[in-house]
Amino acid sequence: MLDELRNACRPGMVGGFLPGVKQIANVAALPGIVGKSVGLPDVHSGYGFAIGNMAAFDIDNPESIVSPGGVGFDINCGVRLLRTNLFEQDVLPVKEQLAQGLFDHIPVGVGSKGIIPMNAKDLEEALEMGMDWSLREGYIWAEDKEHCEEYGRMLNADPSKVSMRAKKRGLPQLGTLGAGNHYAEIQVVDEIYDKWAACKMGIEEKGQICVMIHSGSRGFGHQVATDALVQMEKAMKRDNIETNDRQLACARINSPEGQDYLKSMAAAANFAWVNRSSMTFLSRQAFAKQFLVTPDDLDMHVIYDVSHNIAKVEEHIVDGKPKKLLVHRKGSTRAFPPHHPLIPVDYQLTGQPVLIGGTMGTCSYVLTGTEHGMLETFGSTCHGAGRALSRAKSRRNLDYQDVLRKLEYLGISIRVASPKLVMEEAPESYKNVTDVVNTCHAAGISKKCIKLRPIAVIKG
Amino acid sequence: MEFAFVIVGGGIAGVTCAETLAFLEPEKSIVLLSESSLIKTVTNLHAITKTLTDFDIREMETEEFSAKHTNITIVHDVLMEINDEEGYIKTKENRVIKYQCLCLCMGAEPKLIPQANEFPQILGIRDTDSVENFLKKIKDCKQLLIVGNGGIASELVYKIRNAAVHWVIKDRHIAATFIDPGAAEFFQPTLENPGINDPPISKRMRYREEDIKKAGAALGPDWYKNLVINGANTEVPSEVKIHYMTEVSSLHTLQNTENSEFPIEVILTNGERIQCDLVISATGVNPRKNFVTKNKIELSEDGGIIVNEHMQTNLRNIYAAGDICSANWPIAKHWFQMKLWTQARQMGCYAAKCMAGYLNNEEVLQDFCFEIFAHSTKLFGYKVILLGLFNGQKLGTNYEILLRMTKGHEYVKFVLENNRLQGAVLIGDTDLEEMAENLILNQIDLSPYGDDILNPDIDIEDYFD
Repeated sequence: MLDELRNACRPGMVGGFLPGVKQIANVAALPGIVGKSVGLPDVHSGYGFAIGNMAAFDIDNPESIVSPGGVGFDINCGVRLLRTNLFEQDVLPVKEQLAQGLFDHIPVGVGSKGIIPMNAKDLEEALEMGMDWSLREGYIWAEDKEHCEEYGRMLNADPSKVSMRAKKRGLPQLGTLGAGNHYAEIQVVDEIYDKWAACKMGIEEKGQICVMIHSGSRGFGHQVATDALVQMEKAMKRDNIETNDRQLACARINSPEGQDYLKSMAAAANFAWVNRSSMTFLSRQAFAKQFLVTPDDLDMHVIYDVSHNIAKVEEHIVDGKPKKLLVHRKGSTRAFPPHHPLIPVDYQLTGQPVLIGGTMGTCSYVLTGTEHGMLETFGSTCHGAGRALSRAKSRRNLDYQDVLRKLEYLGISIRVASPKLVMEEAPESYKNVTDVVNTCHAAGISKKCIKLRPIAVIKG
Repeated sequence: MEFAFVIVGGGIAGVTCAETLAFLEPEKSIVLLSESSLIKTVTNLHAITKTLTDFDIREMETEEFSAKHTNITIVHDVLMEINDEEGYIKTKENRVIKYQCLCLCMGAEPKLIPQANEFPQILGIRDTDSVENFLKKIKDCKQLLIVGNGGIASELVYKIRNAAVHWVIKDRHIAATFIDPGAAEFFQPTLENPGINDPPISKRMRYREEDIKKAGAALGPDWYKNLVINGANTEVPSEVKIHYMTEVSSLHTLQNTENSEFPIEVILTNGERIQCDLVISATGVNPRKNFVTKNKIELSEDGGIIVNEHMQTNLRNIYAAGDICSANWPIAKHWFQMKLWTQARQMGCYAAKCMAGYLNNEEVLQDFCFEIFAHSTKLFGYKVILLGLFNGQKLGTNYEILLRMTKGHEYVKFVLENNRLQGAVLIGDTDLEEMAENLILNQIDLSPYGDDILNPDIDIEDYFD
């Protein structure tokens, strides 16, 4: 973050990439913003909004805007955590097979019929129904939905607002789920900070095995965002909306462009939930196959599912009065406190579980939402480790062999299709997730609950 | 015999088409007509980005293939005649096969220089059969001449050992089918010093192009990987002399009396004379169309069968895919047809979807892979990724290039028009493919970033997430 600022302030630097902190300030000047434009500890520069930025807009103020840059291109990129009743010693001897099996089950070739929407009609339904589609098709359990933001379905999704190009871009390319950022990790509970809350999540003790799934809407989300950006530039001219940065293209929430974006963004969110549900199904299959028991008997429930890149309508108390707000979270996770009506019954007393994905080889965390966060950050916290070093820098500093050796030393089995993928998300290229999580804990916007350590990474 | 789907051709397009149909329509009967008993299947498919995939080719005995797909019948035969009115085909061995949908995937045959018929020393390289022939002949070669500037020619030049190579290309620079002169320069050291950049043993399991034997289908992307191409001249290290911007004008045999150790002499259009043992012609392909149809099948100027956006030919219920067809739909700005394994696979798969959709009366959206050209290959030992209008195709001279190169490490070229990314060449491990693909597809205005878009100190990929 400070590096970015330092770079940007060097003499001779004009335009180009704005540093994250400057972007946060530009967001604070957008029409209709309520309270602060918040930067989370893992903030860094992104398109329009910084990654790790949240901002809320008053829906009742006709000037208020919605901005695709405040959601990001990979709409509803997020993390899901499954628990099991297995322990490290059960999994260690077979982790290679399991990692292999998980990969094989994630559709990387032809042979994935049905798990993901394959044709125009399926896709249309999936965009509208989100996880209800996966449930109807028989790929998830009814209770999975309970442990998902919005029950895995944004009701305002309207596939008819989504361009044909986006739909084409959303259909699987010749039977693949996608590439690059999709991945699953087999993780071990490494530490429990809040035994009671962990218990409510079905995590009893150290050594217990979990599966973390990381995916989003990828190309589909990119197209939805791109289409909206084009529309909104026109709307800005018409409605005389001015921003400090051209990348902060936006439209009034109640304008046709604003509404169309929210409806198609919701469709993209639903699409991402279907993706994570498909990966859930495949993970359960792989474990069941390996241990020759049903996923039920392995207690493979969804602990929770969070979204990092999304805009949602929420009610918050502003100046002592309840207000309906459109909350943009980009690289930021919702973290609602105990007793909040929008969190599931099981977590009413603990607060919402917040999943912080580490990167390949680093730890992940489960946090819980707090009252303080509700007041300070509209119930938002960090999303994971931001990249501290740029890819290119890390290439200079890192030798590929070193990365492999490093991961080997950590005891992680890696299945990679090419060395590039290891490089791309090697732990050294990231900010230390532990520091980020500790900062949020100290600031009181989320509370540490469980630490998870990866033992196998499977890239999809 | 009557089948729901009849597919002609045992290459990538045909086999992918049959496999996709077997998967989409497990209840329906499919027949695959193949000239050879070995067919090509795609293995280790790996999605690099949305539209970019990397895969290996494995040759499989037809028995093995049929065992995997119970609703596919393989027939070894050659298509002779299509009756498009009544919906049946006739083969060389007088089989009559009725179809509901027919897909033609016979591929293409090597285009040879015109003199090829008269001289046995001229070889075309296109399919596995011709490679074997070539390997046999090169054993006695001390000096050979390679004509052509595509992928096959480039790899041959890189792989040949123990023989002097004259490489005749009509362009200003090597490997022009894929790359620009800058990239050619980047590759130059590997040519002068062959083998220096042979990739380390990959951790990934790769199937080998096992015993290259049978005729028919085109080569797979890894065809040369395990080839050892050794000439007869073991004393001298191989040297490559490149003859730029010239073509073969004529050639004649040399008599022993002329006191030459070589059997033929080639005269180039620039007047140069080269004596050699062998001439390899790798100058591209022509669609293979050696059958008759009841009604006229529409062909494009280059001889390919014209297909619409659903891979349909002008004849009822007849589709075509792969090198044999010519795309004739409103082509997306960032896509163009090129006779490559990648596109053969994409077309085969998509044709299958279209046929299944047609029989089931379902709407089929055109596959997104036809929105952007995307090809991943290896040249001179480097990973090469080509995206969109990577050489400024269709753009005339109205574009800018943004470049980044580290010697022996990476070469990155962005093609920009109106500050929007139109295409990219990525050589080496650049990690930029997904971002480049998205920037091309999204057409985001990049003017604020200027040259910084390729600044190695900026983490551009995360920025657009």
